[in-house]
Amino acid sequence: MSHSLAYGIPISWFLTVGAMLFCIGLFGMMVRRSAIGMLLSIELMLNAANINLVAFGSYLKLPSIAGQVFAIFVITLAAAEAAVGLAIVINIYRNEQHIDADKISVMKM
Amino acid sequence: MHIFGLFITGYQVAFVAVAGLTVLAAVGVVLVPNILRAALCLGVMLMGVAGLYALMNAPFLAVVQVMIYVGAITTMIILAVFLSNRVMKIGFFQAVYNPLLAAAAAGVMFLFLLVTVANSVWVQGIVEKTPATKDVGVQSVATALLQPYVFPFELASVVLLAVLIGAVVIAKEDTADES
Repeated sequence: MSHSLAYGIPISWFLTVGAMLFCIGLFGMMVRRSAIGMLLSIELMLNAANINLVAFGSYLKLPSIAGQVFAIFVITLAAAEAAVGLAIVINIYRNEQHIDADKISVMKM
Repeated sequence: MHIFGLFITGYQVAFVAVAGLTVLAAVGVVLVPNILRAALCLGVMLMGVAGLYALMNAPFLAVVQVMIYVGAITTMIILAVFLSNRVMKIGFFQAVYNPLLAAAAAGVMFLFLLVTVANSVWVQGIVEKTPATKDVGVQSVATALLQPYVFPFELASVVLLAVLIGAVVIAKEDTADES
């Protein structure tokens, strides 16, 4: 019983949105100088990758759950990356009173 | 429903609305000078991505996205902004070497991806035109996590534990160092 939901959304639409988000994140990564701004751009790019994973997973003829499982792992690791990244940012801010990525030149203070 | 001779489904309308909101919020994330507002834009953008997941027949992932990304990561970023509040004064244009060059590079990348997507011929029968309606709900996610992917699943918990300890150690105030 195929309850034929007429989705009518081709996979290329999702891939295009993913490409847009990735390139916006790339632009932000190059343009932002504050470390938190760069972290935000990384989140954009990770979400773009997730959209592609889930799209391919659910558009397969025999839908594979692997796309969603991979996306869940990416979300987990994004949370981990944000936690460590923000801890480093707070530490740098405490020592240098700024988080300008261009001016951070020492790893140990 | 027919508009200008085109057959448009409700899903397509929902997709255009959600994707438009997502991309708009993403532009806000990179262009808004105030970093706190950029973080709030990120929250909107992540909600939009959750909507896209729902449209891709992945409701569980949509809920996970809202709970972890919107609920936890955005909150964490906003708290970090509060803790380093001088950040909010870094403007956009003072923080840029050459925005046009960066925009050109990102635009070239986007065009490359767009041409690749447009010219790809999906192997007949492997990738369908519309998402499959077979149920890929919570139960199949749980089965996949606990059967074929049980090792990465356990590894993820180890990674999270290490991150928890590492973040506390890094962010902790050094009170008694080098004494």
